[in-house]
Amino acid sequence: MSNWKLINKTYLYDGSFYGFLTIVFDSYLTKTLPQKICKKNTYLSNFLDTTIEIETNLEKAQRILNGIEKNIGSDTLYNTYYAFLSNEKNKEFNILKYLCNGFIVGPKINHNLTTSYVFKVVSMRKKTLSECHKLKGLLRFQELSNNLSYASIHPDNNILEPLGHHFIKRFASMNFVICDKNRDICFVYNTKEYKIIHSQNICIPNISEDEKKYQELWKLFFKTIFISERNNPRCQMQFMPKKYWQDLIEKP
Amino acid sequence: MFDFFVFCDIISTNVWFVVKKMDIIDKLKILADSAKYDASCSSSGSSRKNKNRGIGNGNVSGICHSWSNDGRCISLLKILFSNCCIYDCKYCINRCTNTVRRATFTPREVADLTINFYKRNYIEGLFLSSAVIKSPNYTMELLIRTISILRNEYHFNGYIHCKTIPGCSKELIDPLGKLVDRMSVNIELPSHNSLKLLAPQKEKDGILTPMTYISNGIKQNKLDKSKFKIDFVPAGQTTQLIIGATPESDLKILKLSEGLYQKLNLKRVYYSAYISINNDKNLPTLKSPPLLRENRLYQADWLLRFYGFKADELLDDSHPNFNNILDPKCDWALRHIEQFPIEINTADYLTLLRIPGIGVISAKKIIRARRSFYLDFDSLKKLGVVLKRAKYFITCKGKYFDKICKFNESFIETNLIYQERNNLKQPQFEQLSIFDSLQPTKEDKIKCLTGSL
Ligand code: SF4
Repeated sequence: MSNWKLINKTYLYDGSFYGFLTIVFDSYLTKTLPQKICKKNTYLSNFLDTTIEIETNLEKAQRILNGIEKNIGSDTLYNTYYAFLSNEKNKEFNILKYLCNGFIVGPKINHNLTTSYVFKVVSMRKKTLSECHKLKGLLRFQELSNNLSYASIHPDNNILEPLGHHFIKRFASMNFVICDKNRDICFVYNTKEYKIIHSQNICIPNISEDEKKYQELWKLFFKTIFISERNNPRCQMQFMPKKYWQDLIEKP
Repeated sequence: MFDFFVFCDIISTNVWFVVKKMDIIDKLKILADSAKYDASCSSSGSSRKNKNRGIGNGNVSGICHSWSNDGRCISLLKILFSNCCIYDCKYCINRCTNTVRRATFTPREVADLTINFYKRNYIEGLFLSSAVIKSPNYTMELLIRTISILRNEYHFNGYIHCKTIPGCSKELIDPLGKLVDRMSVNIELPSHNSLKLLAPQKEKDGILTPMTYISNGIKQNKLDKSKFKIDFVPAGQTTQLIIGATPESDLKILKLSEGLYQKLNLKRVYYSAYISINNDKNLPTLKSPPLLRENRLYQADWLLRFYGFKADELLDDSHPNFNNILDPKCDWALRHIEQFPIEINTADYLTLLRIPGIGVISAKKIIRARRSFYLDFDSLKKLGVVLKRAKYFITCKGKYFDKICKFNESFIETNLIYQERNNLKQPQFEQLSIFDSLQPTKEDKIKCLTGSL
């Protein structure tokens, strides 16, 4: 990758995974790396930057996806996807370098943990995955009066989609909505298909009659299971960080 | 003795009658409270799929849904079906000679509670156990009825762990095993003598016979390659030992666990620090439960299962108990200092695993990385290998770590003990009970890395 040109430009894209893959496609084709990659809607224009808007192109994105899987392996695809969901600054740039180099060296890329951007991509993946796993447990559904289950979450990373898939597998015959309050997006599933939509487009009815009863029973269970001789709030906090408490029924 | 039993039975039947009118809140309070001392709360090892658009599925690596104020993971609705017991185990809060509030669920109540908690994602499944109502077989039948409502009527595919009642007949184990993911029979007391002393009505055979039966059932089920077979206890069987209620040494306990893993293929042995609840001349009075000892046993248990250690290596008759300050692996390493230092660039996998502070994940990283280049201490750090303990026991390209010029037992021991003392001021025991399958799962590996093995 040493002969690649670093160009003095800032790429702006729509923030979607496919938009990002379009950038990867263009960079790989022209063998150039931009200075920065930013999201269109959060970018603050800066006198010194020259910006280029990149239009999301599904065909290019798909070709890159296939290319990654074929040439650098499905592990890399997995790393790329989960790293992209991370909320880390500069994630795009690190993933871009990781992929471009990946196309040169192949699947071996994932062993080069001492290279800083590979290390960053891998640790971003780890962080997103572990938050996703944590929320698979900590998410709480409430039953609403129209036979719908509703949950709100406040995750650091954008894990709504993989999280939603977990619950589709689990509750295939349930209508549910998961709302990411930090990003104002909702994962909506109607027992057949799912969509990710903006929170504005959704209105939430009241909770069902049974709901209060089961919330009380759950709180009771939570309190009762505690063994006072083994009190260890530090350990509890370590596994269940405070930032997630707002969405828990049983708040410790 | 005979009179005594009749007496118990009358009490429990009367109580059964009274509690029928009790509401679900009271029952949950009583029966969750009675179940909480069981250490096992794992939900891993099952890959049960969501069939027929029913509800739920298993997750191989297990999911924790909450953490209680004692730092233990809550993954399953852990309750007793009933605490009306006809037995009189000395250490147990529900023994028939105690005066405690008694309650018994109906099968339907347990099934409804489970389904409704599950749908709200509070839990991963059910962990059902029970005191002995009337007789072991009578109790087993109630448990089977409960679980078959869940599986067959509500199409529940989530995780179910059920305790087998000691002394029940073999014919009842089969149908239960086909409904649940995991079964356990708790040994509780680690020797025949202790059992006789503290749980006089339970027989050693009443415990070991069902365990052997389940173990054989699992083995045979695995051999059965037919497409339509019904899984039998797919997530394996476990047991629990109480630590500190009886005089057995760590060596004796660990040997027992080793035997259980080897002979009966158990998935896990849980250790539960004894908490003084009852006063009895045969029971010790402990101010606080022996949590450190429990933690040491969990650590040693890991060394047995994942690190290729044998119980006899870790402890022996002249040294039958674990060290308070050093973890079992450090302790072992210091007593076998002649096997160190180990050269990071040449040692094989199993040898790497014997270095204090190096866990499964670090060892694998080292093996992978050194294919491309020679490792020195800096690159070890970059790989994320924690050197806090390991540095005393290794060389890289033949060199010791920085200032460690003296390689001898007392030097290392002083340093390690100094480090550990600082740690011990704020004791923090890992919660190991959530990690479970025989192959370390992803989380296992993370634990090994951050943990003290
Ligand atoms: S059988 Fe023994 S341990 Fe079990 S509930 Fe009855 S008294 Fe307690």
